[in-house]
Amino acid sequence: MANLSDKSRWLLRHFRREWQIYLMLAPAVIWFLTFLYTPMYGLQVAFKDYSIFKGVAGSPWIGFEHFQTLFDNDDFIRSLKNTAILSAYNLLFAFPAPIILALMFNEILNQWYKKGAQTIVYLPHFISTVILAGIVLTAFSPSAGIVNTVLGWFGVDPIYFMSKPEWFRPIFIGSGIWQEAGFSSIVFLAAIAGVNPSLYESAVVDGASRWQMMWKITIPSILPTILIMLIIRIGNLLEVSFELVLLLYQPATYVTADVVNTFIYRQGIQSGQYDLAAAAGLFNAVVAFILVMTANALSKRFSRTSLW
Amino acid sequence: MSGVTLEKIVKSYGKIEVVHGIDLVVAEKEFVVLVGPSGCGKSTTLRMVAGLEEISAGRITIDDRVVNEVAPKDRDVAMVFQNYALYPHLNVKENIAFGLRIRKESKANIEKQVAEVAEILGLTEYLERRPADLSGGQRQRVAMGRAIVRHPKVFLFDEPLSNLDAKLRTQMRAEIKRLHKRLGVTSIYVTHDQVEAMTLADRIVVMCDGRIEQVGTPMDLFNHPKNLFVASFIGSPPMNQIQAEVEASGDKLFAKFGAHRLELPMLHELGANDHGRKVTLGIRPEHIMTQADPDTDAIEVELDLIETLGSEALLHTTVMGKPFVVKTETRGDLSHLENVRALHFKPDMLKVFDGVNGDVFDHPERLK
Repeated sequence: MANLSDKSRWLLRHFRREWQIYLMLAPAVIWFLTFLYTPMYGLQVAFKDYSIFKGVAGSPWIGFEHFQTLFDNDDFIRSLKNTAILSAYNLLFAFPAPIILALMFNEILNQWYKKGAQTIVYLPHFISTVILAGIVLTAFSPSAGIVNTVLGWFGVDPIYFMSKPEWFRPIFIGSGIWQEAGFSSIVFLAAIAGVNPSLYESAVVDGASRWQMMWKITIPSILPTILIMLIIRIGNLLEVSFELVLLLYQPATYVTADVVNTFIYRQGIQSGQYDLAAAAGLFNAVVAFILVMTANALSKRFSRTSLW
Repeated sequence: MSGVTLEKIVKSYGKIEVVHGIDLVVAEKEFVVLVGPSGCGKSTTLRMVAGLEEISAGRITIDDRVVNEVAPKDRDVAMVFQNYALYPHLNVKENIAFGLRIRKESKANIEKQVAEVAEILGLTEYLERRPADLSGGQRQRVAMGRAIVRHPKVFLFDEPLSNLDAKLRTQMRAEIKRLHKRLGVTSIYVTHDQVEAMTLADRIVVMCDGRIEQVGTPMDLFNHPKNLFVASFIGSPPMNQIQAEVEASGDKLFAKFGAHRLELPMLHELGANDHGRKVTLGIRPEHIMTQADPDTDAIEVELDLIETLGSEALLHTTVMGKPFVVKTETRGDLSHLENVRALHFKPDMLKVFDGVNGDVFDHPERLK
């Protein structure tokens, strides 16, 4: 008891002394509570037969029925499969892209050229997703798109890229890389800038080539950053860029393009099945949580690097 | 001969020249220390020898081969850096072996060499550890191991002990000295610490503002500094300085400051014509006595404080309002020091420097 009061006295003293820090922290905490924790109350509709008229509290509990329905639904299974495939492609192609880009930038010795190249690849990040989707749709248009125009020079008939399911994934991943690889490379460039220059000088004296220095110094030195970014990426793995999918897909490409988030959007917003959409969203969140925990544990075990 | 020769070496960054045509010959197996304050160009000079900096003019020869255009890896030098430059993701063994692996040496040879070096440096039990798990001294030993394992013609040390605490620095200093004795490799060592320079060097090169001020053995620099800069840089505590004026009286010369008048020893380039000339008198704290002795001159001082070092003490006094430090023996007791009001020294221990350019007026017999 005395211990407890000692602790509360200490806490009180601590708050009195450090109140400025807590004041600065307050907006972030309020934001999290308002927009991320309070809505969690609504998650219970995933286990209820939700009716707008009865409200969240008034709707009857139905247990895991919505989850049962989801897993019996071919569209959901398809969206789950597409999400997994797009996520895997993302991890395989989009994740290494900024790392490769940062390594390439690091090798450019001419500062003017380096800055120019960096500015050019950062720019797409500042384009809104709607504009980006517009550019992609225009570029791949069968009538006036640049891609089909170039193909036409080689005698290839126009391809209806955006309505062919087999083209959706490469176009989606490619446009994602085009938009974000440059900007994402900043993190890795910062990590590279933090590498002790003596390591390179020492390697130069030892006789290492630039290629050897990249493999034996740069990449291992930025590995902790790569792993942290990978953990964060894995946590967001199922959050396949919802807006971009929504803007690029069409019923003809659902077979490869429909992902869990677009499924939730169609079920929840368009069809008004909020409870089913909530169940799908909750499932998504639980899987993401498990993924990030696993990635963090693995990283901690094998590389001494972890988020917590 | 695995010596190093620097001829008229210049280094410029754009229009700014930082090293102004220095000449230096480092003999085979010699341990030469470049010492000087920050920004004097000592590290730049070392990096030019390593090939990490291009030289703007002049010629560098290593082992009788001009290396101006030779890549660092082909100069057969090994460098130890101030911050160790150990690869954090590699363990001690891999760090030491790095240079050999880059040179594609056989696995068996690498194992053998690393084991040998680890034995020399007392690192055998730490071979599997990463740098983060080592102490500062152990890290520095690994850094030296990386250099030694390649059997280079020249070792280059860039302030290797600066990151260590005082005690460890003393230990490592002795280890470096022992290692040099054992391996006998030509070494160039950069430091801003004159104690390190004095204890390690066969010869010391004192640098200032991109120029060599003086080259000589530690005792040569201590006893016969060429100018005021060297005199004040070498020695700890530094040489005491008093601004004075030359007074010629008959065939004798005196230095006048405040109410004091000290007879000057016979000095080269200083004669009766120099009456009224501004000079700086220099006297080392070790050469001052607290008790009168035959043939000594005396000056009155005010005692500010006594710093006890154990067997020795530093008396902080003032002469004409300027600090004046005396290093003296305590003989286990401070009471005899507490009432010091006058200091004594032999006139021949006095150094006289030109009041304008700081050059020493040397004793004529030394110049013979």
